[in-house]
Amino acid sequence: MKQDNTLKLVKVLTLICVISAFSLALIYNITKEPIAKQKRLEMIRAIKSVLPPCSVNDPLKDKITINKKDIFIGKNKNGKICGVAFKVYSNEGYGGTIEIMLGIKTKNDSINGIEILSMSETPGLGAKITEKWFKDQFKNRNLKNTVWKVKKDGGDIDQISGATISPRAVTKAVYNGLKFYAKNKNKILKK
Amino acid sequence: MEYKREFTKGLWDLNPTFKLVLGMCPTLAVTTAAINGIGMGLATTFVLVCSNIVISLVRNFIPKKVRIPAFIVIIASFVTIIDLIMAGYFYELHKELGLFIPLIVVNCIILGRAEAFASKNNLIASFFDGLGIGIGFTISLTVLGAIREILGNGTLFGAHVMAYNYVPIIVFILPPGAFITLGFLMALMNKIESSRK
Repeated sequence: MKQDNTLKLVKVLTLICVISAFSLALIYNITKEPIAKQKRLEMIRAIKSVLPPCSVNDPLKDKITINKKDIFIGKNKNGKICGVAFKVYSNEGYGGTIEIMLGIKTKNDSINGIEILSMSETPGLGAKITEKWFKDQFKNRNLKNTVWKVKKDGGDIDQISGATISPRAVTKAVYNGLKFYAKNKNKILKK
Repeated sequence: MEYKREFTKGLWDLNPTFKLVLGMCPTLAVTTAAINGIGMGLATTFVLVCSNIVISLVRNFIPKKVRIPAFIVIIASFVTIIDLIMAGYFYELHKELGLFIPLIVVNCIILGRAEAFASKNNLIASFFDGLGIGIGFTISLTVLGAIREILGNGTLFGAHVMAYNYVPIIVFILPPGAFITLGFLMALMNKIESSRK
């Protein structure tokens, strides 16, 4: 009697799991392309918004890779490089990884803009890193004209009241991005 | 139709947030803005209705001993489905709610209604039960989120609704503010009820 019971338990649970796995695989396949499309669209939006206005090409076509990092090149109408955009990230966000698209003007090596691609910071607090005033303060900054820390730590970057960790993470990520650009500038501009 | 009762009970008498006090984790964490409240509420409603329907349909086939693992597999499947659908078609909202969408699995409301109702009632009743409790949850979260957003951020659904020199009371978008607002709303509901009697 007991054996029948156990066998029935196993059969029922297995059946439920099989149906569940099948349904999930189905939905996964249906949503795979829409999800990939959304991520692509978001990245394109970010790249276009951080590259300087002089770029008129399709940055996705002019992409180079250095140390496994994709760098999107912006060229002006004469075909000369006028800006670059690439992803930087920090694992030190309050809620985890923060992904940022950084755009640099090649004529003076300073920042044209940043876009937050993904973050899990607290709404109303750390999430304010996506607000215009926070992102705009990075414009025209470079390695020489800025102390790359938040004001609380003695630097030049405005933090958010009640949320220092998120701005700190963004600052560090952007700073690392600038350093990466400076280190590889010759390689980038040659291509 | 007697099914009307199964629907309306979730809106007030059996309101999951203020009466059953279930699903507190997403309730407190996600209601920092009204739109998040609506998004989370609707996603949860979808899962609740679907899981109630399926569990009610198979209620006579699941042996009592394995009902909890069975319910959880069913619930987790629907949560994954809504997570994928939101990532594909509601990208902005999906980004906003982030981690809390998969956490719908452990929202006690869903397992609670599966155990207390769907596993013991017919399909139509279970459908209306899930719908009523889900909509009740959505309304509760939206009200909670709206109050916290207005007081703690000066906006409602992203639009400025307070005077420009309004200094937001930040505590309302922090965890303590969630508890405080919840407490006041609960007290208000109890007051309304006792004054009706």
